Amino acid sequence: MATDITHEVSVIEGKPTLKEIDATIIKPMDEMPNIKFFIAIGFTTTLLLIGVFSLGMAFYRGVGLWGVNNPVGWGFAIINFVFWVGIGHAGTLISAILFLFRQKWRTGIARFAEGMTIFAVMTAGLFPLIHVGRPWLDGYLMPHPNQHNLWVNFTSPLLWDVFAVSTYFTVSFVFWYMGLVPDFATMRDRLKNSTVVSKVKKTIYSVLSLGWRFSNRHWSHYEMMYLVLAGFATPLVLSVHTIVSFDFAVSIVPGWHTTIFPPYFVAGAVFSGFAMVQNALIIIRKVFNMEHIVTLDTLEKMNKVIIVTGMMVGYAYGMEFFIAWYSGHEVESFAFLNRAFGPYTWAYWIMVSCNVIFPQFFWIKKLRRNIPFMFVIAILVNVGMWFERFVITVTSLSRDYLPSSWAYYVPTIWDIGLLIGSFGFFFTLLLLFTRTMPVISIAEVKSVVAGSQPTRHKLGHHEEDEHNG
Amino acid sequence: MSNDNIVLYERKPLPAKLPLIGWSLLLIGVALTVLAFSIDNVRASYNLIIVLMMVFSVGFGSLFLIALEHIVGADWSVPFRRLTEIIAAVLFATPLIALPLFLNLNEVFSWLNPVVMDSDKYIKNKSPYLNESFFVIRNIVVFLFMFLFYFLLVGRSLKQDKTGKADTKKWSTKISAIFLPIFAILITVVAMDWLMSLEPKWFSTIFGVYYFAGSVLAALAVLTFIAITLAENGYLSKYLTEDHYYNFGALMFAFTNFWAYIAFSQFMLIWYANIPDETMWYMQRGGEGWMTVSLGLIFIRFLFPYLALVTRPSKSNPFRLKIIAVWVFIAHYYDLYWVIMPEYTKKTELHAPVYSWFEFTVPILVLGVLIVVFSLVAGKKNLMPIGDPKFRKGMEFHL
Repeated sequence: MATDITHEVSVIEGKPTLKEIDATIIKPMDEMPNIKFFIAIGFTTTLLLIGVFSLGMAFYRGVGLWGVNNPVGWGFAIINFVFWVGIGHAGTLISAILFLFRQKWRTGIARFAEGMTIFAVMTAGLFPLIHVGRPWLDGYLMPHPNQHNLWVNFTSPLLWDVFAVSTYFTVSFVFWYMGLVPDFATMRDRLKNSTVVSKVKKTIYSVLSLGWRFSNRHWSHYEMMYLVLAGFATPLVLSVHTIVSFDFAVSIVPGWHTTIFPPYFVAGAVFSGFAMVQNALIIIRKVFNMEHIVTLDTLEKMNKVIIVTGMMVGYAYGMEFFIAWYSGHEVESFAFLNRAFGPYTWAYWIMVSCNVIFPQFFWIKKLRRNIPFMFVIAILVNVGMWFERFVITVTSLSRDYLPSSWAYYVPTIWDIGLLIGSFGFFFTLLLLFTRTMPVISIAEVKSVVAGSQPTRHKLGHHEEDEHNG
Repeated sequence: MSNDNIVLYERKPLPAKLPLIGWSLLLIGVALTVLAFSIDNVRASYNLIIVLMMVFSVGFGSLFLIALEHIVGADWSVPFRRLTEIIAAVLFATPLIALPLFLNLNEVFSWLNPVVMDSDKYIKNKSPYLNESFFVIRNIVVFLFMFLFYFLLVGRSLKQDKTGKADTKKWSTKISAIFLPIFAILITVVAMDWLMSLEPKWFSTIFGVYYFAGSVLAALAVLTFIAITLAENGYLSKYLTEDHYYNFGALMFAFTNFWAYIAFSQFMLIWYANIPDETMWYMQRGGEGWMTVSLGLIFIRFLFPYLALVTRPSKSNPFRLKIIAVWVFIAHYYDLYWVIMPEYTKKTELHAPVYSWFEFTVPILVLGVLIVVFSLVAGKKNLMPIGDPKFRKGMEFHL
């Protein structure tokens, strides 16, 4: 006999007490970090240093160090920007959209994904600032009256990016911080004023918790605020990558100008974001013994989202190809044939196999629940999504309308150094996050432990209640 | 649970006048269509495409909603699934509606005209895809796939009423997973064949998604209206609450926004790039007379439903929801009129929107088809899936 399908599996395994939940989640912040942590952060800061050095060189010698030239004027900088903005999409999708869909399984992973969003958007934001080439002019990106009469080009989607990404960052940050407030209060209350260190910690957490006292009124305001912010954040998630897709799609460059770009970019962003959350969480839950909170069921659900969004991306690849032929325009058809069979054919097929073919393994339940396997697939998805941006940016530019100026783009060592540095920046921030703030929402996890939900009358139980109102 | 024995649903036969209304609307519709074809078969064909696309939207959209429920494991929608299944049966009417069109393909699709084909190399290039035999074959394939999945998804659910077998759920989930990717391709083929190829030169990669967004809205609107009307008159369970209805409102709100997003993306990118081969489609709809209709689309399809649904009470108030559902359904008609009829006025060089009894046949026929199919298929069936193990849980749904 099959299991009772009406019974929903609890998001949290076992039945930990509230105190145990506090202890499990706060443990990484209570203890001195162990040697593994120092090795990990040593590694990521090394990567970061490589990036800082490459950046210093780019500032000192100029962006001529990079591989960009005519005709490929957009190289790694824009690829990395789009890649990292995409990674930042999973967080708000999980915390806002899944919240509106009343998906309880988001509880275990929402906070972490939100944190990732913040760091990914920060990483992404670096690239346009660098790519400007004259970083002292970055201030003019924000339109303001100035004595040089220097104004931004309001009709350029690159400017809309400035607004979209900064709005997105602000709202994501507020959303993330508001969710943290009750948890900061929990941490404040746990600390005793015994040592100097705990006094300092207590002060910090007291300030951060904004006077939260777990009162009924606090919670009712909090819940309303959370719902409203989720409602705001949802269209924002869509808008950000939509506008990023406009960067390409408004240009009359073959392979860029296609109407499906906005939803296709959003689906791709969620796809890669989920893969990154998956990768990081698999490690975190193991290292911090949180396997009963971030359960295998949750990971399986994430894999389902990965396969769905992967197929959406596949649909877009297919449509683009078909319409390129259907339109009958030589340049369009050429752009796509060139992607698949031209000089960058290797990049194109890495993209297709990583994004469309490999996720299909998740049709098999055993593989969907196999942790090492999903870890590998998630890495491949990230590789594939990075290459997607590479293929879009580079193939179209390297062979555009004028065959005499066609050129093969090759990134230089400084380009790669910056890419490595961006990973270092992102993962260093992530590691610091795990030591300073609860990576899982303590308050929300408590609300999904079996038995904590409000019980309602079963149907027909209290008929008279209905008459009374 | 101590109250497993309470009766959540008791079948109450649908009123006898329902088929009567349906058949009379259908007969009037058919008679008007026949008359229209005999007077002006070009205009009648264009209008019949609207009918086909509307019925198709409702049927295919409903099938999508059923699959969606299975695959995400939703609880709230289980009590309404039988209604969705009955509504999805309108798919069986689509070949009948398409038949007169298949006989009149030359009247609407200019790519069938060898003169047009040869005059433009871009259109000529499409001939491996846009030719009569392939068009007919792939549409028959679409019909066959639809029927296949209808039986696979709905058949077992009906049997479940008697057997109450739980493993049906597992089967349905698997079928839904297979169905959804195929659905994406099929609805794209339909949208491109019947809507996009009306202007053979024009192309847009997002067009399938555009029709999908509208279709889900149409299906949701029909479901919402039928569900609430039946519940209010005691044909469904008395234990349904406003919390159940809330999801109808929320989904209509979400898809209204989704439609607007897709419509805006398509328009914005084409307007900005300003390539004549793409803008021609919007230029046709921005010409004299059509401009008003185009602007109206923004209000009718997006702004009004958006404002009407944005607050929480309007998402669950049954009276308001019914009005909004009717509005959303009319808006879908308006949208399809806006997509299809400018091609007719272009062909006939009228260059201004037309609306007379020719066009008014469309809503009569659509309503006739919907009501007749609903009353025929509902017949002696239960209107709620009483054998579904999740039925009780669905009834106990609270926000």
